[in-house]
Amino acid sequence: MSAHPLARAQERFLARLLEPDAPRDTRLAVYHRTTMAARMGALAAAYPVVQRLVGGAFFEEAARVHAAATPSRSGDLHDYGARFPGFIAAYAPAAALAYLPEVARLEWAVHESRHAADGEPFDFAALARVAPDELAGVAIVLRPAVRLLSSSHPVLAIWEANQEGRDGTPERTHGAQRVIVRRVDHEVRPIEADSASWLLLGILGAGGTLGDAMEALAHGDGPLDAALGRLAALEVLGGFMSPRRA
Amino acid sequence: MDGARPPARVGIGLRAPHYAQLAQRRPPLAFLEAHSENFFGGGLAPAWLERMRALYPVSLHGVGLSLGSCDSLDERHLARLAGLVRRFEPLFVSEHLSWSSFGGRHVNDLLPLPFSEEAVAHVAARIGAVQDRLGREILVENVSAYVRLEPTAMPEWEFVAEVVRRAGCKLLLDVNNVWVNAMNHGFDPADFLVAIDPASVAEIHLAGHERADGLLVDTHAAPVAREVWDLYARTVERIGPRPTLIEWDADIPPLDVLLAEAGRAEAIVA
Repeated sequence: MSAHPLARAQERFLARLLEPDAPRDTRLAVYHRTTMAARMGALAAAYPVVQRLVGGAFFEEAARVHAAATPSRSGDLHDYGARFPGFIAAYAPAAALAYLPEVARLEWAVHESRHAADGEPFDFAALARVAPDELAGVAIVLRPAVRLLSSSHPVLAIWEANQEGRDGTPERTHGAQRVIVRRVDHEVRPIEADSASWLLLGILGAGGTLGDAMEALAHGDGPLDAALGRLAALEVLGGFMSPRRA
Repeated sequence: MDGARPPARVGIGLRAPHYAQLAQRRPPLAFLEAHSENFFGGGLAPAWLERMRALYPVSLHGVGLSLGSCDSLDERHLARLAGLVRRFEPLFVSEHLSWSSFGGRHVNDLLPLPFSEEAVAHVAARIGAVQDRLGREILVENVSAYVRLEPTAMPEWEFVAEVVRRAGCKLLLDVNNVWVNAMNHGFDPADFLVAIDPASVAEIHLAGHERADGLLVDTHAAPVAREVWDLYARTVERIGPRPTLIEWDADIPPLDVLLAEAGRAEAIVA
């Protein structure tokens, strides 16, 4: 219970506004409509592929049910929609589409990547200046726009087939996919990961060092410098910390 | 501005569909106003804003800070705003004289405050905190409202004027919101105008509204209404010319439609 009239007024007004059904009062209904439209608009902007896969009417109903039950937790609407993949996974009308929640997870990763901070680029020359005996202690951070996603469905193939100008037919319909979501020239360009890149990204993403990476790659995924070179070319590597710098 | 044309006083809201055309055509506009939250991240949006900033003064207009809320100020939101202010050195930084969250739940809409002494003190202190955090003066905008919250002890214009006076900030006078509220709550918009200290008004907003269920709704999806143009002319007559913005945020029309609206405002304010 709030002690002050202002807090009490806000608490009550918001509770009335956020009831799942539109208020009968036409004045209050304006706010309810705007709130729902803002949330549903945010979902539509973040999940265009899900929308294309299920159709506009189906998507709108799903978005309405989710938006009515899920408050926004931020004054920035770009933050809204993180819980939609989990909702889709439990949404009975979509139960036949096992890949749908996975595609939604990829779309949220793409959305986060699009709006992530720029971060600093990887500096190969600076890494070359690190003393050889300190290299094993170096930890390279991933760029803020990088997201890693592994799925038992070919989510990237489905995502790519449903981009603008594509007819919706994926190149693969079965099989797992591991996806690196990254941003190049301000554009989000997810790509399928090879096994050495995936292994290395997992280690670096968890804060591991090049020493950890060398040890892991020694079990047959090829030399570290080749894998690092591939990741640098994908523009997923950010700054690094060496023991001396830290 | 080149010497052939008097300096423009009117700007338009910056929306993504117009980026490329603005960069190419560079129409004579006094400034562009960007919604702060649209540039909180990295990537394409701030890269465009940087290009626009090289061509025009830019002002930042926030919709999500929830200034009047009883929740504590969102430090993450403020930090991102402060970063934008440092990077783009905006002409104005503005927010709304409203609230949009309680208990961490947001409506992402602009809810009215009760016009009480408690609300004046609360929001004025919060504005002060934001100004301290940003290291500069901000503008607050009077909002359109469809309900009145209790306890209300004064008319809206007294509330607005007192908040601005006590916070030591400036007013972003939204003339369309004055008109919408006058119609929805039954007061004479002239009462609002005479209560406002002209020296406190740093910027004026103009936008379109639409009628629904017997109410005027501030949709920002239509041309400025005839009555609002008239009220704008009376406002300029009373307080003098001010930098003026044409806002159009939904069902965004071709750039030329916005430029025509800006030209109409320019003819009144020049």
